[in-house]
Amino acid sequence: MTCTLGEVKNRADFIVYWGGNPAECHPRHFTKYTLMQKSKFLPRGRKDRTMILVDIRETKSGGAADIFLQIRPGKDFEVLTILRAILKGQHVNESSIAETGLTLEQMTDFIDRAKKSRFGCMFFGMGLSMTRGKHMNSAALLTLAAELNAFTKFVAMPMRGHGNVTGADVIMRWQTGFPFGITFNRGYPRYNPGEFSTVDVLVRGDTDAALILGADPGATMPQPAIDHLARIPTIVLDPKVTHTSRLARVHITTSVAGISAPGTAYRMDEIPLPLKPALKSPYPTDEEVVRRINEAVARKSHWMPADGPMTVLQH
Amino acid sequence: MIRITGGKIYDPANGINGQVRDLCIDGGKFVSSVIGGRTIDATGMIIFPGGVDVHTHVAGGSINFARAMTPEDHRRTTAFIRTQSRRSGLGGMAPTTFATGYLYAGMGWTTVNEAAVPVLSARHTHEELHDIPILDKSSLVLMANNEILLDLFEAGDFERAKDVVAWYIWAAKSYGVKAVNPGGVAAWKWGKDAKQLTDPIEGYNTITPGTIIGGLAQIIDELGLPHPMHLHCNNLGAPGNVWTTLETMKLLEGRRAHIAHLQYHAYGGDDWDTMRSASAEVAEYFNTHTNMTTDAGAVLFGDTVTITADGPWQHLLYKLTGRKWGNLDVENETGCGIVPYTYRPSNLVNSIQWAVGLELLLLINDPWRIFLSTDHPNGACFWRYPEIIQLLMSFDFRKECMTKLTPIARERITLPDIDREYTLYEIATITSAGPARALGLSQKGSLGIGADADVVIYEEEKDIAKMFSHPRYVLKGGEVVIEDGDIRATPEGREFIVKPSFNPDIENFLKPKFEDVYTMSFENYPVEMERVSHAEIRDCIDT
Amino acid sequence: MSPIILTLKESPKVPLEAETVTPDAFLTMSNEQIRSSLVYHGKRHCRLDDFFDVTGEYSDHIEMHGDLHRVKLLGKSMSRGQLKVHGSVGMHLGADMRGGRIEVTGDAGDWIGAEMINGFIHVHGNGGGQIGAAYRGSLRGMKNGTIIVGGTAGLEVGMRMRRGTIVVGGKVRDFCGLQMKGGTIILMSGAEIRTGAWMVRGTILSLQPLPLMPTFVPSGHYNPSFIDLYARELRPHGISLPNSPSSGTWSRHCGDTSIPGKGEILIWNPALLT
Repeated sequence: MTCTLGEVKNRADFIVYWGGNPAECHPRHFTKYTLMQKSKFLPRGRKDRTMILVDIRETKSGGAADIFLQIRPGKDFEVLTILRAILKGQHVNESSIAETGLTLEQMTDFIDRAKKSRFGCMFFGMGLSMTRGKHMNSAALLTLAAELNAFTKFVAMPMRGHGNVTGADVIMRWQTGFPFGITFNRGYPRYNPGEFSTVDVLVRGDTDAALILGADPGATMPQPAIDHLARIPTIVLDPKVTHTSRLARVHITTSVAGISAPGTAYRMDEIPLPLKPALKSPYPTDEEVVRRINEAVARKSHWMPADGPMTVLQH
Repeated sequence: MIRITGGKIYDPANGINGQVRDLCIDGGKFVSSVIGGRTIDATGMIIFPGGVDVHTHVAGGSINFARAMTPEDHRRTTAFIRTQSRRSGLGGMAPTTFATGYLYAGMGWTTVNEAAVPVLSARHTHEELHDIPILDKSSLVLMANNEILLDLFEAGDFERAKDVVAWYIWAAKSYGVKAVNPGGVAAWKWGKDAKQLTDPIEGYNTITPGTIIGGLAQIIDELGLPHPMHLHCNNLGAPGNVWTTLETMKLLEGRRAHIAHLQYHAYGGDDWDTMRSASAEVAEYFNTHTNMTTDAGAVLFGDTVTITADGPWQHLLYKLTGRKWGNLDVENETGCGIVPYTYRPSNLVNSIQWAVGLELLLLINDPWRIFLSTDHPNGACFWRYPEIIQLLMSFDFRKECMTKLTPIARERITLPDIDREYTLYEIATITSAGPARALGLSQKGSLGIGADADVVIYEEEKDIAKMFSHPRYVLKGGEVVIEDGDIRATPEGREFIVKPSFNPDIENFLKPKFEDVYTMSFENYPVEMERVSHAEIRDCIDT
Repeated sequence: MSPIILTLKESPKVPLEAETVTPDAFLTMSNEQIRSSLVYHGKRHCRLDDFFDVTGEYSDHIEMHGDLHRVKLLGKSMSRGQLKVHGSVGMHLGADMRGGRIEVTGDAGDWIGAEMINGFIHVHGNGGGQIGAAYRGSLRGMKNGTIIVGGTAGLEVGMRMRRGTIVVGGKVRDFCGLQMKGGTIILMSGAEIRTGAWMVRGTILSLQPLPLMPTFVPSGHYNPSFIDLYARELRPHGISLPNSPSSGTWSRHCGDTSIPGKGEILIWNPALLT
């Protein structure tokens, strides 16, 4: 259940930020899309909206919230699951609720407000999706949003990190059917996060070369992954020198997308935005470099046997 | 240059019904004669114009959402292996873009119409369409729940509404207008629906689904779009919705219209238990009103994923099935819902749906006005069209399939009483000539001189489904793309768009509205011409 | 039938996908056919004997020797015979298995017996995550059969399983029995957090105390007779389950109420020695 940001701007009278700090990480989010905007349906703007912030510590975003729910670290999944039980009028074991940092009253109040709203929206950040439980934390929040639709209109949307993660996700999906965690070793896409996702492949040392585009794993990934990148031939395409390029065999300087390279960026709600370059760059675009690598590879003999089948029926 | 000799030609656009003729191709078009070049000996073979799909969902935000939701299907489906000339891809319920091109072309379809594009993400749709090889494409922009337009209808400002529609079509680099559940999707944004033509719409005072439908049909006729209003009626999928459908058809008298996936709009009964086929009522009215065309939206038993801009219906389906559900609402314009679904012959509702799609195809007597579609991927995946052709061409095969239905289901349908069998000529009409004409694409669906040389050549075969699944040759724009089951070439296709005229001052009206309701700057909104690959601007017409 | 023996001679540098190694396939193959059967070393198409010495032919009894931790998909979809590995194996051991037996003396990677339909898998060392689980997006995991892991196990053990039994000797990580729909998971050394999360049906037994989700509600103590059935079935594999009332009782917790589910988690409470 999701929607474009304009829907939130025009309609959402109940907004939840979960595990994210938009005031500092997405500075224009409140003013441009969510809290402050007035609309035909919410003529008084901020006054017509309720905002709940859920996090493990108070951040600058707290000042903008009507209600701040401080939960204990690593208890997101439990809280979301309890909320689902409350929504369905089911029992929860009250003696273990306290471990979450919230009271039953706070959680019941949350559900009451959500049900009474006309259009609810939950944004979730990396404080939810990248902590213990990971994809299941996101799944818990998305499931709660889906189930709230039995009572009112409710949507949920991830707040992604830096770079055009959403764009990569969108294009991988239309070209391969999968958003990430894909292998092409058999000549067609196969998917298994945990097995084929970059970080896992590197940690296990399952690859003998790496091409890094629009990311700096040398700064963000666990040490065994970084060690492996240093061991194998690693090629980095980046406008600037990064942690990864310091340990790479090859760094190719490219122009900056959006400033000097044209293209399309996909916003967090998957709305495509045109990138119209303002400056000229002496460096090639990422696209041009990859295209030339591709052309060079195509001149070598193909790695698939030429007499192989055109299609394969998987099982 | 290519000469195709000795084949039996089925070319309804030119009234040729199985006569043996030679076809000559030069410069991507049919010509009267060629000297030299390749000769394809099609002696004993059957020749059709390349298939045209008037209503499918192959590119854009919603099908791409469906892809993300069905990794389990991608894992068990046909995979296309990468070669030096061909990209890899996956078939299945929501095929990837490259595979979409290979699969359509592989069964002889060469033109498709993507039936639902929100303007806000039109740029995304065009990027995906670019990645669908071989096929020529057109796309329809979603308008019937656009709040700026609804506000103008509410204010009775028809002239300005017309300019707004024309501006949006050009901004989206689109080919026409799709109206989905008019008013109902706007209401869904508050979790409500608008099922009947006279229902009030949540958030508005005077307009109803009926006023939106009437207004849009008039605008589209006055703009002279080559394809009429493409309407997904209100009350989709609900028992008893035949009355809504008939009311809608009456409202459209005197206007051109294409009624999409009619199968989902032809049910009688009062609820799920008493649901029955109402295809006879619909067909009877439709047969006598020639202002309309339609496509079947047929259902086949098996797994699929349902996606539609009709959010309310999808939520109902989710509640009925308890399966995965995705919903995506687009600001100011539309919404969409996604639910994986399995149609089963043991299920009464599914059985009726299966029968209604076939009944409509058999009871509507003019093949120039009803076209083969499954509303891919909703009723079934497009690559299953040959199964439907077999059902249409063989009463015996239909009888055999009907034995799988429950006795109750057989009482609720009229299919057992219909013995009509389609001829090859009629199949060529509903799969190619008819939809091409409805789309206003005169160079498609024809083997006449000057038409695009899109040809499919079948080896005659008793097993109809097999024959139509595995053409011997497929030519697109005069190039052999499929031969002996192999993909020989993957040329990029064109995109057809229209540029209806509008008063440029409309931008002064729209700009402040945009600042209000959208989250994208006005300047960034229109898709630039260079973003549409191989665009061909088609003329508007006098209606 | 004498076994076919595969001995690793060349360690793969990147994962080796070897779903060709099944008793079903080798039963009908000559030694040369087995040697030449296709394996994928990364993207390269290789022969099995690029990596293994092969002795024997026409047998549904396979023995493997060596450190096979990069060798994936062994015994995939097998329906009969035996596969015995002296060493460790990579991911997807016995995935989609239909029948027969697999025994591994060392460790095994993630997805042991994923979506298996029937059969028996015994890993003496540690197992990875997603044992007997459903692959991403799929609605159901193992349908039947037994998986025994002597050591520890990773995340999401038994995720969405339908029926069958999973026994883990060592400690298990988070989300054991996630969205479980039936079957039994037996935890000899307990688990970390979120055991039984979102379970619909099925039974999780733990011989050690477990941290429970707040959406599990206590519902009494008892000594159910079905435990004796499991105890009898598992005894030949060196696993003993307590159940005599004199040695203790099982406390029962129902959930996950957020679904709302009818699953149960039984935790063994040994009687205090007096």
